[in-house]
Amino acid sequence: MKFTVQNVSKLRPRIGTLSNFGERKNGTLETPMLLLHSQGGQIPHITHEVFKLISKDAHILQIPLTSMHNFQETLEQYNGTITDFIGSKESLSCITFHDPSNITRQGHHAKNKVPLWTKNGIVYYDAPMYCKVLESYKPDMYFFISDGDTNKGSQQKRIQKAVDTTIHFYKDCLEGHKKSAILKNSFAMASIAGGYCLKSREKCMDVMLKDSEIGGYVIDGLHNNGPEIEFIPFDEVKSVAEFVMSKIPENKLMCVQGCWNPVNIVKFIQLGVDLFDTSYCRIVTERSSALTFSVDLQGELEEYEINLREHKYADDFQPIHNTCSCFTCKNYSRGYIHHLLTVQELLGPILIMIHNIHHYLNFFDTIRQCIKENTLNELEFILIKQFKNYEDSRKKNTAEISTFSEG
Amino acid sequence: MSPKKPLVFNIISECKTSMARVGIMELPHRAVDTPVFMPVGTQGTLKGLLPEQLENLGLQIMLANTYHLGTKPGAKILKKAGGLHKFMNWKGALLTDSGGFQMVSLLKLAEITEEGVKFQSLNEQKAEVMLTPEHSIEIQNAIGADIIMQLDDVVATTVPDKDRIEESVHRTSRWLDRCLKAHQRPDDQNIFSIVQGTLFNDLRTQSIHDLIKRNVNGYAIGGLSGGESKDDFWKMVILSTSILPKNKPRYLMGVGFAIDLVVCSALGVDMFDCVFPTRTARFGCALTMTGQLQLKKAKYKFDFNPIDKDCTCVICKTYTRAYLHGIAARTPVACSLLSEHNIAFQLRLMKCIRDSIKENKFPQFVAEFMLGVYPDKDYPTWIRDSLAAVNISLL
Ligand SMILES: [Zn+2]
Ligand SMILES: [Zn+2]
Repeated sequence: MKFTVQNVSKLRPRIGTLSNFGERKNGTLETPMLLLHSQGGQIPHITHEVFKLISKDAHILQIPLTSMHNFQETLEQYNGTITDFIGSKESLSCITFHDPSNITRQGHHAKNKVPLWTKNGIVYYDAPMYCKVLESYKPDMYFFISDGDTNKGSQQKRIQKAVDTTIHFYKDCLEGHKKSAILKNSFAMASIAGGYCLKSREKCMDVMLKDSEIGGYVIDGLHNNGPEIEFIPFDEVKSVAEFVMSKIPENKLMCVQGCWNPVNIVKFIQLGVDLFDTSYCRIVTERSSALTFSVDLQGELEEYEINLREHKYADDFQPIHNTCSCFTCKNYSRGYIHHLLTVQELLGPILIMIHNIHHYLNFFDTIRQCIKENTLNELEFILIKQFKNYEDSRKKNTAEISTFSEG
Repeated sequence: MSPKKPLVFNIISECKTSMARVGIMELPHRAVDTPVFMPVGTQGTLKGLLPEQLENLGLQIMLANTYHLGTKPGAKILKKAGGLHKFMNWKGALLTDSGGFQMVSLLKLAEITEEGVKFQSLNEQKAEVMLTPEHSIEIQNAIGADIIMQLDDVVATTVPDKDRIEESVHRTSRWLDRCLKAHQRPDDQNIFSIVQGTLFNDLRTQSIHDLIKRNVNGYAIGGLSGGESKDDFWKMVILSTSILPKNKPRYLMGVGFAIDLVVCSALGVDMFDCVFPTRTARFGCALTMTGQLQLKKAKYKFDFNPIDKDCTCVICKTYTRAYLHGIAARTPVACSLLSEHNIAFQLRLMKCIRDSIKENKFPQFVAEFMLGVYPDKDYPTWIRDSLAAVNISLL
């Protein structure tokens, strides 16, 4: 896999392409783009068969190792690639260690190892073990392991340890990458740790930026994953993101993971970030909501999302969104989805997820269009308005609920 | 649009040995090949599968439950939506039950009177509510299924009280009259009546004679698969199919295990329904021609074969047992995957039954099928006996 970028100025939104996917897969992908977040080899709620109803375009599945750990012994004996095994031959794969949609438990550090929680307790991974697992996966792209267990509140001592461990991992992973006939052909993404400390970030980058084997970088250690990422104010992460983005060579693919809201996604893209993931669609779907925000620069502002559990949708036979061309909106009504949610049927979240992924992929189409037409600021502006309305009403609701419970 | 009669049943092929037959049942929404298995989409949806996927599988008809749909979303909303077909985007045929059986089995407090089934509502008011034959038909008219069921007086097959069973036979006939009278959509919905009489030959015979006098387009064989022995079960099925008119479809309620489908098709049944194939998928159970695979078992961890190499469904073409082993009963998606295969399996089994009848090879098919399930030939007596009764001998 190869990354080429058109706009080479720093801290600017940019269009890039991923190409050369090997013999088995054709096509090119344009960045900024989304990795399709999966768990246990499937996009949450949606089978590969159903995903084909949303899109037949080339795509990269993000496969968190945490969700595949129980297959380890099986995969050691399996001959094909990870995408063959999970039943999605036509997908490209990107292996990450953590699942961005789930909170990563903090602590339980061991020297030069990273903990993975399973049903049967903690399993510690070091770099050689991680590389060995990856060889059985034969991924198209993968992230180096790192110690990303830092957030806004992390102490300096923790940050230092995270950086030291991550540098150690980096060296081992790079060696593993070079040595392995399989991994050599895979697109390697190194993780930059260091929390919110610029010095620590710099220390990390000093080690990592010179190796030509590295195709791109992940700004890791900003958070511990999970739904709360949606409400991190961009001001908190801005200085770290700017700092890292100003240091990284322009020809590298830049990635930020997690359930960021669309406003912050655009703000990262304004700084030149190329790669995100769809974990946000999962958390929105699992609160029974469908994304309805508008990305039409000429059109009206819309409600940010609608919660289909609300009783007012019981006899509403319109689609989730009138102008949406997704499979759900073309065939199903809000009323039916409301019914499915009320009686807790599997099809409810399936139909919402189809819409949300479609909406989010469409959002990224618009982002790329806006970059080409130099209108990303306008898009950011309408997103800010719509998301703010949503945040305000959410705060109001939470306030009402807490008053109610106090009274 | 709809045919002049809401149901036209043509028998296109009959087994020369047994009582099995192949028919085409033309319904307002589509034609259905019989013998047919109908999966159960209780709440107006089938275990995480899109109606489009079901159509691709070749599913022609499915069942929905009146009691559940009458509670949520309720008849008012279904009517406003233009019926269940539109509400759930299903273009094939639908069948609804009367709701009576669900009440008696789900609600311990249900009490049956001449008026109807009285029960305590599950809502907050805990009000006493009555499901009458009229009310059941009213909800079923709102749902709008191609086939609707009369409300019947359900008695468990394990009840020994013959007087009570006789009462249920007569009451079921009286309730049928009330259902037919209340039916508002006779042009595009068919009421099926339900044969009662549990395990008493004379009462079941009487029930059928009573029902034949009324004008209905099909018959359900009720009061079975409620815990009776298999020896009793098959005798009641063959008694019913022997007396019921040949030119109308016969529906055996609540039956869906592969072995039962094969035997009862041989006994002349045309329609079946059961929650089993989809319910069992949730626990990681996959159905095959030779039995069930419990995919959670450790032996599948390194098994890179499909569930069934002869199955043409998307699941068998895409996934290995080893992969399904790792996700079975863990994720909602796994439930959709196994349900899809299990429905595909049921449909394939029924197609094998129909094709072998048409090709005049049904007795061989039955014998080979049973040998596949019982390779040591330790056939249960009821299978030997029931098949012998229709002149099919095992290998
Ligand atoms: Zn949509
Ligand atoms: Zn299959």
